[in-house]
Amino acid sequence: MEASNLTDHISRRFNKDIEDLRNNVLTMGGLVEAQLSRAIAAIVSGDSDLGLKVANDDYKVNKLEVAIDEECSRILATRAPAASDLRLIVAVIKTITDLERIGDEAEKIGFLASQLAAMDRPTDSYRELKYLGNHVLDMLRAAMNAFARLDAEAAIDAVREDERIDDEYDAITRQCITFMMEDPRSIRRFMNVTWAARSLERIGDHAKNIGEYIIYMVQGRDIRHTEYLDEIESKTE
Amino acid sequence: MPESWRRFLAGLLLFLAAGGFVGWLYGHTETGLLVAALAALAFQVRQLLAFDRALRSGNFDAFRHGEGLWAQLFSRFAFLKELSARDKRRYRELLREIRKSTNAMPDGAVVIDNDNEIVMCNRAAKQLAGFRPKKDRGQRVDNILRDPELAELLVAGDADMTVEIESPVRSGDWLNCRVVPYGADQKMLLLRDVTERMRLNKMRRDFVANASHELRSPLTVISGYLDSMDEDETLAEWQMPLTQMRAQALRMKKIITELMELSRLESAGRAGTADTVDVAALIDSACRAWQGRPGVPAIEVDADAGIRIRGNGTQIESVISNLVSNAIRHTPVDGVITVSWKRSKRGAVLGVEDTGEGIAAEDVPRLTERFFRVDRGRSRDDGGVGLGLAIVKHILSRHDATLVIDSVPGEGSRFRCQFPKERIAETPVERGAARTAQG
Repeated sequence: MEASNLTDHISRRFNKDIEDLRNNVLTMGGLVEAQLSRAIAAIVSGDSDLGLKVANDDYKVNKLEVAIDEECSRILATRAPAASDLRLIVAVIKTITDLERIGDEAEKIGFLASQLAAMDRPTDSYRELKYLGNHVLDMLRAAMNAFARLDAEAAIDAVREDERIDDEYDAITRQCITFMMEDPRSIRRFMNVTWAARSLERIGDHAKNIGEYIIYMVQGRDIRHTEYLDEIESKTE
Repeated sequence: MPESWRRFLAGLLLFLAAGGFVGWLYGHTETGLLVAALAALAFQVRQLLAFDRALRSGNFDAFRHGEGLWAQLFSRFAFLKELSARDKRRYRELLREIRKSTNAMPDGAVVIDNDNEIVMCNRAAKQLAGFRPKKDRGQRVDNILRDPELAELLVAGDADMTVEIESPVRSGDWLNCRVVPYGADQKMLLLRDVTERMRLNKMRRDFVANASHELRSPLTVISGYLDSMDEDETLAEWQMPLTQMRAQALRMKKIITELMELSRLESAGRAGTADTVDVAALIDSACRAWQGRPGVPAIEVDADAGIRIRGNGTQIESVISNLVSNAIRHTPVDGVITVSWKRSKRGAVLGVEDTGEGIAAEDVPRLTERFFRVDRGRSRDDGGVGLGLAIVKHILSRHDATLVIDSVPGEGSRFRCQFPKERIAETPVERGAARTAQG
C-alpha cells in the first residue's frame, strides 16, 4: 500500500507482514463494531435471540485476538523492527487487548438485552441507552477509522469524546436511581439498565485508550495521564 | 532522402571541400580537411549543447528563426509538444466530465483493484459510507467499511450476491452492497441506500404479524360459541349452517396460523447448523400419518436414512408435510405419490412426485406466491390455504436450499428441494438400506 509511510521496506515480505497485521486489526475492529451495534439493537428492539447471538459470538473476537497476538510475537522475534514499525506493533498489541475487552462488554450487553427482553418494556424503548450506545459506537468507529488512516487528529477528537460519554452515563445513572426510588418493583430491571450503561461507558474508555495508542503510533508521543490534550486546547483557544 | 537532409549533407561536403581546397593552395590538403572537419564538428556540438539547454530551460529563441536542420528539429519538436498538450487537455476535460457524472450518481461507487485497495470513489460513496475520495486512495476498502458481512462478500467475489449493512456515518440507514468485476482485474463496489425499502418491508411484516395476531382472538370466541351451539339439541334445524360455519372458522384459523408462521420465518435469520435433522425419519412419520386414509392415493417412500442435514427439524418437517399434503390434494385416488430422499451431485435432494393433474407451464413460477391458485374456480374446501408453498420456499431459502418444480399437465408434477453439500451432516452412520412402504 502506498498511502502509508509505515510500509516502506526493502524486504517485501516484511511489508506484507506489517500490512497483514494492520488489516487483521481492522477486521477485528469491524467485528467488534458489528457486535456492539447488534447488542444495542437487541436492547432497543427487545430481541432476546439477537442478544444471545451477540453473547455467543464473542468467541470470534477472542480467536482473532489470540491470532493477532501470535503474529505480533512472530514479527518481533523474526524481524526485530525498529522506530515506527516497533511503535506500530506495540500499539497493535495494546489495541487488540482493548478491542477484546470491548467485545466482552458487548457480550455482557447482549446478555443483559436478553434478560431485559423478558421484563416490562418502557414506552420509550430505552431511548437513553440507544443514544449513549450510538454515541459510543460512533466513537469506536472514529477510533478505528483513525487507525486505518493513521490520522492523529481524528484520534485526538475520539479521545476527547470520552468526557461527553461519561456525562451521559452520569445522567442515565441518576435517572435510573430516580425510577428505582419511585417504584421499588422496577429495581431489578433498572439494575440491568444501569449495568448496560456501565458497560457502554467502559467501552468508551477502551475506545479512548485505542485513540491514545494511535497518537503514540503516529506521533511517537505518549499522552496517557498527561496534560497533552489541555495543552492543545489552550493553544487553539 | 528528404530535402533538409540533402541540404545539410551538401553544406557539410561543401565546407569540407573548401577546407581541402584552401589546404591544397598551401600544399597541405590533409591539414586543411582536418581543420574543416574539426570546425564542423565544433559547430554541431555547440548547436547540440544549445538545443539541450533550450530543452531544459524552455527558451528556444536561438532556434525559433533561422534555417538548417536544428531549426527544423525545433519546429517539429514544438509541433509534437503542442499536439500532446492538446490531447492532455482533451483527456483532462473528459475525465472531469466522467467524474462529474459519477458524482451525480445517487449510488455510491468505489473502484477497487484485485487487492481490494481503493482506486477511486464518487461523492455518494463519501456521503453514504464515509469514504474520503483523496485520502483513502490505496487503503483497503474493508479497512474503512469494516462490516464483517462486507468482508465475506469481498472474499466470495460473487457478482450476484448482495449484503445489507448499516451505514457507519448515517446511523439507522442501511446500505445494499454489491461487488461487480470489470476489466482485467478491477472491481466496483456499489452501495445503494435501501433504508426506505427496509422500512417498508418491516412495516409490511409487522402489519401481517400484528393483523393475524389481532384476528386470532375474536376468532377463538366465535369458534368457541359455535362448538357449544353444536351440542345444543334445540338447534337441530341449524345443523347444516352450523357445520359449515365451523368448517370455515377452522379454515380461517389455519390461514392465520400459517400467516403467522410465514411472518415468523421472514423475520428469522438463516437456520442454524448446530442440530442435525434425520430427514428420512421425518418422511416416514409424515407419510405414515396419511397412508391408509380414505381418499388418499398410494404413497411410496424411498428415503436414504444415511443422509442427515444440518438445520431446523420442525421447519423441515413442515416442508415435508406441506409438499405431501399438496400432492395428495392434487392426485386422484388411483394415482401414486413417490417421496424420495437421495444424494445428488451437489448435495441431497428431497423429491415429491405425483401422477396428478399437473400444472400449466405459465403458472409454475407463480406457485410460491401467497394465496396463488392455479384454478380460481376450484372449490376451496379441499383443505388448502394457499400459503403452503410460500412457507416451503421460505424455509428452504433459510437452509440455503432451492425449490425446483417440473410439471407436465395431465401427467403429474415433481417438486424437488435441493440441499447444498455444506448443509449435509457428515455422520459416521452407516448408509441405511432404502426403505419402501406401500400405502
